[in-house]
Amino acid sequence: MTAHRILIVDDELDFGTTLAERLELRGFAAKAVGGAQEAMAVLAADWRPDVVLLDLMMPGIDGLAALDLIKQHDPKIQVIILTGHGSTESGIIGMQRGLFDYLMKPVDIGELIARINEAGAK
Amino acid sequence: MSKKLFCGVKSPLFCGLSSRDISPKARYRCMRNSLLIVMLAITLIPLSITSGLNFIQYQQLLREDSQANARWNAESARATISAYLEKLEAAITVVIDTYTFEDLSDSKKLEQIFKQLKKEHQGLVDLSVVGPDGIQSAYVGPYGGLVGKDYSDSLWFHKALTRRMYVSEVFTGFRNVPHFVVAASKKDPYSEQYWVLRASIDTETLDRFLALADTEALEDIFLINDSGKLQSASRYHGGAMDDFQLTRKPKQNDILIFEEMRGDNSFYRAVSRIQNTPWLLVLDQQGAEARKIWHSFKARLLLTLTICFLASGGMVIWLSRFLAGKFREADETRDAILSETEHSNKLASIGRLAAGVAHEINNPLAIIGEKAGLMQDLVGLDQNFSHREKFLDQLASLQNAVVRARTITHRLLGFARRMETSLTLVQLNEILQEVLSFLEKDAAYRNIHVILQLQENLPVIRADHGQLQQVFLNVINNAIDAIRNDGEIHITSRRENNKTVMVAISDTGPGIAPDVLKNIFEPFFTTKGNEEKKGTGLGLSITYGLVQKMGGKIEVSSEVGVGTTFIITFPVYSEGSEGESNDRA
Repeated sequence: MTAHRILIVDDELDFGTTLAERLELRGFAAKAVGGAQEAMAVLAADWRPDVVLLDLMMPGIDGLAALDLIKQHDPKIQVIILTGHGSTESGIIGMQRGLFDYLMKPVDIGELIARINEAGAK
Repeated sequence: MSKKLFCGVKSPLFCGLSSRDISPKARYRCMRNSLLIVMLAITLIPLSITSGLNFIQYQQLLREDSQANARWNAESARATISAYLEKLEAAITVVIDTYTFEDLSDSKKLEQIFKQLKKEHQGLVDLSVVGPDGIQSAYVGPYGGLVGKDYSDSLWFHKALTRRMYVSEVFTGFRNVPHFVVAASKKDPYSEQYWVLRASIDTETLDRFLALADTEALEDIFLINDSGKLQSASRYHGGAMDDFQLTRKPKQNDILIFEEMRGDNSFYRAVSRIQNTPWLLVLDQQGAEARKIWHSFKARLLLTLTICFLASGGMVIWLSRFLAGKFREADETRDAILSETEHSNKLASIGRLAAGVAHEINNPLAIIGEKAGLMQDLVGLDQNFSHREKFLDQLASLQNAVVRARTITHRLLGFARRMETSLTLVQLNEILQEVLSFLEKDAAYRNIHVILQLQENLPVIRADHGQLQQVFLNVINNAIDAIRNDGEIHITSRRENNKTVMVAISDTGPGIAPDVLKNIFEPFFTTKGNEEKKGTGLGLSITYGLVQKMGGKIEVSSEVGVGTTFIITFPVYSEGSEGESNDRA
């Protein structure tokens, strides 16, 4: 199975880079960026991720708006929201806009990889 | 008394509503008493006034009636005596006009006439002829020896000579028996002197006529003359010729009526003159208050008043208690709603706070988790890392701490999100069985017997399956924790009525003290402070919120040393209640 490309979008860069490093250790190609604009820049630079791990509450463009931008750019990219500020409402809205899954921080790495693989296989 | 009654507050009427420095029991008692007094005053004062006015009016009417009755009786008695005398006078006038002095001086002739007169005029004692010189020339009657008697000094004789007809006062005369005379005089055409025909009548005749006026209310009736001598027998003042003092006399032909006292009793006295006689008729009639009809009226009024007072009093007592009870009920309902709202608001605020805290903690917790995870990864990959095992142990502990902290934050978020429910039709007994399947091993391990009394064919309820599991899991877990080892848990389910089903979960644990019991559903309130299994203080609070959101009710009762019982009630599902449940969902 080809290792998926993962883009981590989180204003907590410390979290994003650490998680990216852990995913790379597990064979994934992972990048971490600090916001939606940077994420869109990565996408524009022709680095197409299979799965985006997206924080919900970020300065500037929030997670749901970023979801829309990503889906507009490439509807096939699967997005998993990974947030500490979860709520059922935002989860439902996200699902309606094409969100693959919704996970609460802190998340177990095994569970996260399982969800990434499911999303990547879709 | 009034201070106690009105609780010493400014407004006695509303002390029950305004006074806050007295106990609720005393406040409602005070309110009840105030209502009682006000309503008694409202009902009984008008009743008393009306009765009083009726009393006075009826008394007045009765007095007027008594006076009218006395007047009528006096009029009637006077007419009877006058008629008798007029008839006798007419007869004597006929005799004296028909016969001469010589004719009537003939005893046989006189006796013949006397017999004829006596037939028609009762009470006639004798008949005599008295010459112009005052010497009785002829006599017919029971008293012998009166012929030849000299009446020239007698008052009646002189009066008879000066008038054509004269009725005398009562006197005893030669016969020494009280009587009166009706005398007529006539001028002899030869001697041109007046002679007199005299009829004597005993006073018993007057008594008989007066007795005809005897009615129920009549006290006494008699005749007197102007000088105060009785002319007939009186019930209270003696016989004929006895003295009597009359305080007031009528003018001419009037009937005078006035009130007199005999002892403590008042009566009406009617006094009238009998025309062409020297007599005054005196009639004493019972006062209004002495009449039977008055006593009867008073008794009826008293009976009516007593019945009205008792009925009104009873009704007012019942009504004041009823109203005070309703006030109390309304106040208690209001207090319960306020308390409930306060509790709900508190839960909502704490929920929002908990969610905020959990969210804020989750991010740094995630960084810690990821950093520790990365360190684990790196150390795990490097087989030559010194102290590798020790590092891995430490990092595993760190991860465990992160997991523990995550459990708490997720539970806090669960508490905040408890309002989000997905309602389906569920069978309480099935849920209970499911929950017990999780817990039975734990219970068996601690030698706790779970005794089920589940009613068959229990109606379904509309609730969130998962949340309902959490409710029973929390309560039964609490029961197991309370018992610790060796005990019983009784779980009962039954239909309470057409509208509700209930589940009662009782344990034989140590029970809960009253001061703890009142806070048991408060968030972050826990009694598991020093146990190895620490509580978050959210379990029962979440349970409370879940049950309430599903339209149910949870109550707890406990006795220290005996055990604790949780009773959870849910509304039975029916077609009509679906819309309401959906709205809530």
